[in-house]
Parts: sequence; C-alpha cells; structure tokens
Amino acid sequence: MSSIGLFHYLMVATLMFSIGFVGVLIRKNTLVIYMCLELMLVASTIALVAFSRFNGTMDGNVFVFFILTVAAAEVAVGLAIIVALFRRRQTVQVDELNALKN
Amino acid sequence: MEPTQIALYTLLSPLVSAVVIALFFRRNGTIAATISVASAAVVAAGGLMLAYGGHRFEASMEWFRFYDFGMSLGFKFDDLAAVMIAIVGVVGFCVHLFSLGYMADDEAKARFFGGLSIFMFSMLGIVLADNLFMMFVFWELVGFSSYLLINHYCLKQSAAEASKKAFIVNRVGDFGFLIGILMCYGVYGTVNLSELAMATTGGALVATAIPLLLFCGALGKSAQMPLHIWLPDAMEGPTPVSALIHAATMVAAGIYMLCRIEMLMVADALQVIMWVGTVTALYAALCAVVQSDIKKVLAYSTLSQLGYMVAAFGLGAGQTNSGAMFSVGAAAAMFHLTTHAFFKALLFLGSGSVIHGCHHEQDMFKMGGLLKKMPLTAITMLIGVLAIGGLPFVTAGFFSKDAILHLAQVTNPAVFGILVFTAVLTTFYMVRMWKLTFLGSPRSDSASHAHEGGFMTMQLPLIILAVLSIFGGYTHGALGFVYGHSFDGVWSQIPHPESLVGVVIMSLAILGIGGGLAWVLYPSSDKDGLETQVPGAFAVLTLLKESFDKAYTYYVAKVQDRFAMLLNFIDQILIAGLIVRGLAGFVGLFGLGARALHVGSLHAYVYWFLLGIVMLWGFAGGLF
Repeated sequence: MSSIGLFHYLMVATLMFSIGFVGVLIRKNTLVIYMCLELMLVASTIALVAFSRFNGTMDGNVFVFFILTVAAAEVAVGLAIIVALFRRRQTVQVDELNALKN
Repeated sequence: MEPTQIALYTLLSPLVSAVVIALFFRRNGTIAATISVASAAVVAAGGLMLAYGGHRFEASMEWFRFYDFGMSLGFKFDDLAAVMIAIVGVVGFCVHLFSLGYMADDEAKARFFGGLSIFMFSMLGIVLADNLFMMFVFWELVGFSSYLLINHYCLKQSAAEASKKAFIVNRVGDFGFLIGILMCYGVYGTVNLSELAMATTGGALVATAIPLLLFCGALGKSAQMPLHIWLPDAMEGPTPVSALIHAATMVAAGIYMLCRIEMLMVADALQVIMWVGTVTALYAALCAVVQSDIKKVLAYSTLSQLGYMVAAFGLGAGQTNSGAMFSVGAAAAMFHLTTHAFFKALLFLGSGSVIHGCHHEQDMFKMGGLLKKMPLTAITMLIGVLAIGGLPFVTAGFFSKDAILHLAQVTNPAVFGILVFTAVLTTFYMVRMWKLTFLGSPRSDSASHAHEGGFMTMQLPLIILAVLSIFGGYTHGALGFVYGHSFDGVWSQIPHPESLVGVVIMSLAILGIGGGLAWVLYPSSDKDGLETQVPGAFAVLTLLKESFDKAYTYYVAKVQDRFAMLLNFIDQILIAGLIVRGLAGFVGLFGLGARALHVGSLHAYVYWFLLGIVMLWGFAGGLF
C-alpha cells in the first residue's frame, strides 16, 4: 500500500486538470483563466511523464519536451495579447470583452 | 478572285460595317452613314458580279460536330440565289443612298445605319445559305434587325409596340419553321438543300407536315394570314426601312425560302399554301382601300402582292418542265418577287420623298397638289402605280402579274377569279393614293410648302428604281438588258399564255375599272370619298381590317393572359413558395438555432467545448 503507482500519478494529473478546467469555467479574469489553462497543460504533462516512467519507454518524455517548448511560445504570445488587450480596453474581465456580440 | 471568296466578302462587308459602327462611331452619324453606304455598294457590286459573272457554285465547311450530328456553314449559289442577291444588292444600295437624304437630320443616324448594315448581312446570309439550319440562324437575325429598325423612333410608344408585335408574331411563325427543320432532319437525315433534293428525288418518305411547318416560317416572315398583323404596324419605322425590309427584301424571304424547299412540297401542302396566298391577297387589298396613311396603303398592298407570290407558288410548284431546275410556280413567284421589289421599293421611297417633303405628314387627306411641287417624285410614283397595276408592255408588273394570273387560269378557276378581283382592287387603291397625294390642291400647310429632296441622295434612287420598274419585266429579247441571260435557269420557266391579246385586254380592263372607279370616287378633299358616298362599304371594310387585331386582342386577354395567370400561380405557390422559399426557410431556421448558441459570453463557449468533448468521447467509446 505504501508504494506509489501509476494510478496515483494519474489521479494527481486528473485532479490538476479538473481544477484547471473548473477555473477556466468560473473565473472572470483573463489572466487567471490563462493560468488555469497552463495548469491543465501541466496536468497532461504529468500524466505523460508517468506513462513514460511506468511503460519504460521514452515516448512520453519526448512529448513533454515538445509540450514545454510549445507552451513557452504560447505563453509569450498569450501574455502579450493580454497586455495589449489591457492597454486598449483597460480591463481583462471576460464579461466586458464582448465587442463581437454587441 | 474565286467566286466563293467574292461571296464571302460580299456577305461579311456589311457585318464589318455594323461592327465598326457599333464599336467606334455610335456618336458620329456622318461617318457611320458613309461606312454603311460603302458596305452596301460592296454588296451591290459583289452581288452583281456573282449574279452576272456566270458563277454558280456550292461550298461548305463544317461549323461544329457533335458525334454524328454535324452542322455546316456554306453557300449554295444557283440561279435562284443569283436573282435574290441581285435584288438585295441593287434595292439595298438604292435604299442606303435614299436614307442619306431621308435620315440626314436624324439624331440617331448611326444606330439607323448600323441597323441597315446588320440587316444586309442577315439577308445575304439567308440568300446564300446552303442548309436550313444556317438559313434559320440568319432568319432570326433579319427578325432582330427588323425589330431594331422598326423601333428606330423608340421614344414613340406606337413604334415600341409595333416592333414588339413584329418580333413576337414572327416568333410564332419561326417556331413552326424550327420544328419543321428538326422534323426534316429527323426524316431525311440532312438539312442541306442539295442533299435534300437528292433524297427526295426517289419520291419516298414525303410527309405533309414538313412542308407545312416550314411554310409557317414563311407565314410569319412574309406576313401571310393569319400572321399578317405585324406588317402594317411595322410602318412605324423610317420609310427607307419600310422600303427595304418590309417591302422589297425581308418579307420576300419567305417566298424565297419556299422556292428553296420546293423539293419537299406535296400536293396537299400546296393546296393550303395556294389558298393562304389567295385569301391574303384579297383580304389585304380590301384593307388597303380604307387606309388614310400613305404608308399603310403601301403596307397592305405589299401584303396583297406577297399573297400573289405565295399563291403562285402554291399553284405551280407541282408543275416542273422536264429537265428544269425550278418549277413553274417558283419561277412565277420569283419573277413577281423581283418586279415587286423594284416597284414597291420605288413606291415606298416615293412615299418617303413625299413624307420628307411634307415635313413628316403621312395622312393622304392632308396632302394633295404635290404634282407641281414634286414633279419627279410624282412621275416616278406614277410609274410605280402603273407597274403594280400592270399596264401592258411598258411596266414590269404586267408581265409578272399576268404570269401568275395565267398560271391560276389554267390551274384553278376559283383562285383565278379572286386574284383578278384583287387586281382590280389593287389598281383602285393605288390610283386613289396617287390622286389624293399629287392631284388637286394642297389641303394642309405642310403640303403647300412641300419640296423635292436632294438629287444624288433622294431622286437618283427613285430614277434607278423607276427604270427597273419599267424594264424589269423583259426577261429576254432586245429589251431584256436588265437581266441578260444570267437568270435563264429561273426565267425560262415562267409561264406565258399562248396569245397576248386576251391578257392585254384583261389587264387594260382591270386597270380601267379599278383606276376609273377610284378616279370617280375620290375627289380632292380631306374626307374619304368612299366614306361619304358609300358609308356602308367603308364601315364593313374598316371592320374587316380591325377584325384580326380584335380577335388577337380578345384571345390574348381571355385565353393567354388567364393561362399566364395560372402559370404564375403555380410558379408563386409551388416553385417560389414551396421549393425555393421552403428550402431557404429550412436553412434559415437552422441558422436561427445556431445563432442562439452565440451568446457572447466566453464561459458559455467553454461549456459548448465541454459538450463537444463529451460527445467526442461518447462517439469514440461507441455510445452512439
């Protein structure tokens, strides 16, 4: 019972993913939503690393490197957009970002 | 030059003229007129070179091929085409020349001359065509150019309506023509005229429907009953157009076409054709008696003379002398077509000269006394009147009309009687017209200030046509210089009576009775002599004239409009309502639902995303 197996890792990953998803659903601040998204991404990374470790192959690890690289690029772009958005609209609350609807 | 090349250049020069005018000189009437007249001169020269140069040929090239159905463009230039191309060339050139004077002050001169060139091109196409499809194409093109030219004064409501009427009535006839051509292809497997002639010499496979359907085309274009109603209205066009298109050439195309498809004729069809022509001749002559518009008189007279030609064809197309290319009837019809083209173009151009001189007054009862003011027009028109009346020996009309009467006499006495009576009527209304216009005293200001047009442009064409109206009747012998021996293939078949004495007496009697009656009945007055002296006859004839238009109006209002309403209902409810609007409505409904998903809140989209994921999982897991 004391040994930690694949199941535990996956539980952690699922938990983190769910927290991230709920955060995306209920938070109003774009920056926080963005952080939650990153949380979901990291959750999937943990799952991949765990699979890689317990299957004894390197496939998952390779994926992780790709995800980290892409995520870094994505963060650079995403944060830049959020900063630009704030400069223009003076707000990053999603409720107020509804120019297309109205 | 090869004859084929000459024919090609002759055919294409008016097309080039029309295109150049349409593209570059729409605003410059003077240049447009010059180009158009030059092209008409080329046509006249080319046509005469071909006709008198002894060139007779056939040439064709493939236009397109669709599996084993091929369509070709080609020339069939025999004596028949030679006669026709000479008429089109000479009369066309005279009319172009006359138009220079008549249309000098017109605002849309370029459009007018462009239209004339288009017409010349289309007409030459009909004349030269070696197969029925090609003929049909050009057939429609003359219809189009006729529409264009009738509608020349397009700001006038009546002109616009007349052009539409002409076009639509012609379409009715052309529909039959087209079906006839298709049936002809179906039965004989070819529409080439020469191949048809070979296919039918065996005598097998002759259907009555084909010649009758093809005759429908002639019915429309040559304005025979019951499709004659467009021609009198077509007089809304400028007078030179009436002379060229609605008297001398285009309306004669129907007769020409009949002569072209002679080999397809059967006895039953010829009976129908003969009676249609005879009745038209009589009916139109009766109508002409009560007209007050000088051009309308000539229009009905044209109808009547076309009736003569159709009747002649119907009477004699079955009779072919051994070894001859053309039948007796076709020869008589073509002969009358030729002389008629000369004297009717002369009469129309003369009336144009009168109308021009009287500042566009067309009512004969407001003219009078023009003999002193316009002597040349008066004399040339008198020649035309005598020619159509058939004054023995000195006019062309005598020979051609009496060839037809002789043919009728030996073939069908009833037709002969009607045609003789029509001839009396013809001289009656023509003398009436001439007397009212030129004799007596002027009955309006415009008539008292009348003047002759310019020599080169307006008088010269009259003189040329007057000479042709006199000598155009001599097909051979010392006085036959107009034709030489170029058209002997056709002219040798013209029927001639054994002795001339009876014919001369008959002609003089016709001329005397008709002309004398008109002379007595119509004093120089602004009232119609017949109306004041025999009001009953006048009323009957007017009713007769209007009966066809009334019948058609009734038909259109009561039958066609209602049918159209029914179709409109079906269109609105079934097609537009159910199919078109129904489909659009269904798609719109879907769009309405899809639009409701776009709430504008980012969170909602995340929920849709979640929903999508769940469905994808469900699908992947085989839930549905």
